[in-house]
Amino acid sequence: MARNTFRLRLYCPEIASRIVPGQFFMIRPARGSDPLLGRPFALFDTYDDDQGQPAGFDFGYVTIGKLTGLMPSWKIGDEVSVWGPLGNGFPMVPKGTKHLMCVAGGIGQTPFLAVARELLTSRRYGSPTRDVTTSSTKVSLCYGARSADYLAGLDQFAINGLDVRLATDDGSRGHHGFVTELLKQSLASDCPPDLIYCCGPEPMMHAVQKIATAANVSCWLSLETPMACGIGICFSCVAKIQQDDGEWDYRRTCLEGPVFPATKVVF
Amino acid sequence: MNPLEVTLNRLRLPNPILVASGTFGYAREMQSFAEFAQLGAIIPKTVTPLPRIGNSPPRTAETSAGLLNSIGLDNDGIEAFLEKHLSYLLGLGTPIIVNIAGHNIAEFGQMAKRLNSFKKIAAVELNISCPNVSGGVDFATDPKLTSQVVAEVRAVCDLPVIAKLTPNVTRVVDIAAAAAEAGADAVTLVNTFQGMAVDWKQRKPILGNVLGGLSGPAIKPLALRIVHQVAQAVKVPIIGVGGIQSIDDVMEFLVTGATAVQIGTANFYNPTLASRLVGQLTDVVKSQGCQRVTELIGSLQLPNRSGCQK
Ligand SMILES: Cc1cc2nc3c(=O)[nH]c(=O)nc-3n(C[C@H](O)[C@H](O)[C@H](O)COP(=O)(O)OP(=O)(O)OC[C@H]3O[C@@H](n4cnc5c(N)ncnc54)[C@H](O)[C@@H]3O)c2cc1C
Ligand SMILES: Cc1cc2nc3c(=O)[nH]c(=O)nc-3n(C[C@H](O)[C@H](O)[C@H](O)COP(=O)(O)O)c2cc1C
Ligand code: FES
Repeated sequence: MARNTFRLRLYCPEIASRIVPGQFFMIRPARGSDPLLGRPFALFDTYDDDQGQPAGFDFGYVTIGKLTGLMPSWKIGDEVSVWGPLGNGFPMVPKGTKHLMCVAGGIGQTPFLAVARELLTSRRYGSPTRDVTTSSTKVSLCYGARSADYLAGLDQFAINGLDVRLATDDGSRGHHGFVTELLKQSLASDCPPDLIYCCGPEPMMHAVQKIATAANVSCWLSLETPMACGIGICFSCVAKIQQDDGEWDYRRTCLEGPVFPATKVVF
Repeated sequence: MNPLEVTLNRLRLPNPILVASGTFGYAREMQSFAEFAQLGAIIPKTVTPLPRIGNSPPRTAETSAGLLNSIGLDNDGIEAFLEKHLSYLLGLGTPIIVNIAGHNIAEFGQMAKRLNSFKKIAAVELNISCPNVSGGVDFATDPKLTSQVVAEVRAVCDLPVIAKLTPNVTRVVDIAAAAAEAGADAVTLVNTFQGMAVDWKQRKPILGNVLGGLSGPAIKPLALRIVHQVAQAVKVPIIGVGGIQSIDDVMEFLVTGATAVQIGTANFYNPTLASRLVGQLTDVVKSQGCQRVTELIGSLQLPNRSGCQK
């Protein structure tokens, strides 16, 4: 897809027919003990078989460690262990939303293809398939990366009606600077977002949280805490989440997230 | 006759495949993965007298074929456990072994007393071995303290008592003997091995708590060794745990002398494993020409050592 960035397609009708945008799954080799644990990855998109039924799904990944370093050597027909769909996913866009802004940093862009396709194309997700009636919502994606060669999946994001704005740290493509500056520009425009979905590195999400709070815009963050099980039994994926009594508590991101209201996340 | 039934003094279980504390949540999380009715027993996450927030992340780090963790007994305390989880657990029909940890002997006693009124609980497992909790006494590094805590729980609670021991001592045998003498119905061998992971480029320990406990396939030979040592030296039923991820692993522990086993870290990366192992165990018992699994327990044949030295 881009520098050190790949896309992998899994045949798995069971997950493909249920998963919704913003949900994730766990994956590991079918055999062997090293790497040992599954790793979480977000849905990039589902694909259909000849009869139009969900057959499997794609995910995008950056090679940074043990398992992602192995993945490029996986061959067609290899068997892997996968469990999911997991987590909550992004909430359904409320009726009457004027402008949904997706803010992505680095590989944090992967959940937003399915978000955009559900809103702007006839692609449907979930079982039973979710009903989407937000044709009047404007959808944009602000996508930041280190440099142009890390920008991945731009072909896929070329969806009719999706307003894509790019930023790179080195200015090699799009806005020279942080993606949060694009968000601020949009908030100051004559069609400002009234809903923000965000996924990316923690400092970026922290910045987006502050911007959204200051602008009083509803905002959801998809956290990328390391996970050992993905299903709520190890208590390793905790993040500080504000509770009803106003105090924070460590909550399991895999069960209660990975998507949280920005107002509840304590950085 | 149920060919898989096992008895550990006062504790009778439908089969010897249990799931380990801290690796199965409060069971509810596992309902779409595990067939609870298959399991010999479920041991929910350790409960403490008061809520504990747990250690700061990162709480886990993967190592070669292993997992380091320092969760820090993150739990809502015994009152919340009784209110939120116990009736659900007891309704599953699977034996429930409640695992408790206190800072001192009195706290263990108070918790055991509280649990004593729930006669449907199959047993109480004493976590006297958690390496992640600062401020607490590591009871299971001292035979005398081990004996005192087991005796206190026996005095206030009629439920079968299991002592879960730490491997982070020179001689686990002494601790197991003390637990048995004080009235433990069984000992669980073992909790995690203390370890550490370092990110040298950042000059930082990886775990938020610096030290953690090692589990997973990497520790299986160490856990087997301890089961062997205790089985040879102490007359107490043993529940073996450490790195089990296949039916062959289960059999290795059983023939070495464990009456039952617990599946821990493997639940994380193979969440349907534990319930499937029960069916596989039935097949192994048959294929070995046995009527009951108990015929295989402790069937290890040791070499005659006197003949091997010239
Ligand atoms: C809900 C969710 C969705 C995700 N979706 C995607 C996705 O769509 N695409 C994608 O590419 N990634 C995604 N990720 C991140 C992805 O899970 C990780 O990149 C992956 O686990 C890396 O596995 P690995 O074996 O290659 O790396 P590892 O070998 O596990 O190492 C990962 C990196 O972290 C460092 N590291 C390891 N352990 C620790 C620790 N405890 N503390 C600090 N640093 C540590 C390593 O040095 C290395 O740089 C997602 C994460 C979550 C939680
Ligand atoms: C993430 C994690 C959390 C654990 N939490 C507990 C716990 O709360 N109480 C306890 O008695 N043991 C706890 N353990 C130890 C396990 O029950 C088991 O003794 C140990 O992991 C060895 O078995 P394994 O290699 O099969 O995992 C925990 C282990 C892990 C990996
Ligand atoms: S990753 Fe294990 S509890 Fe969330």
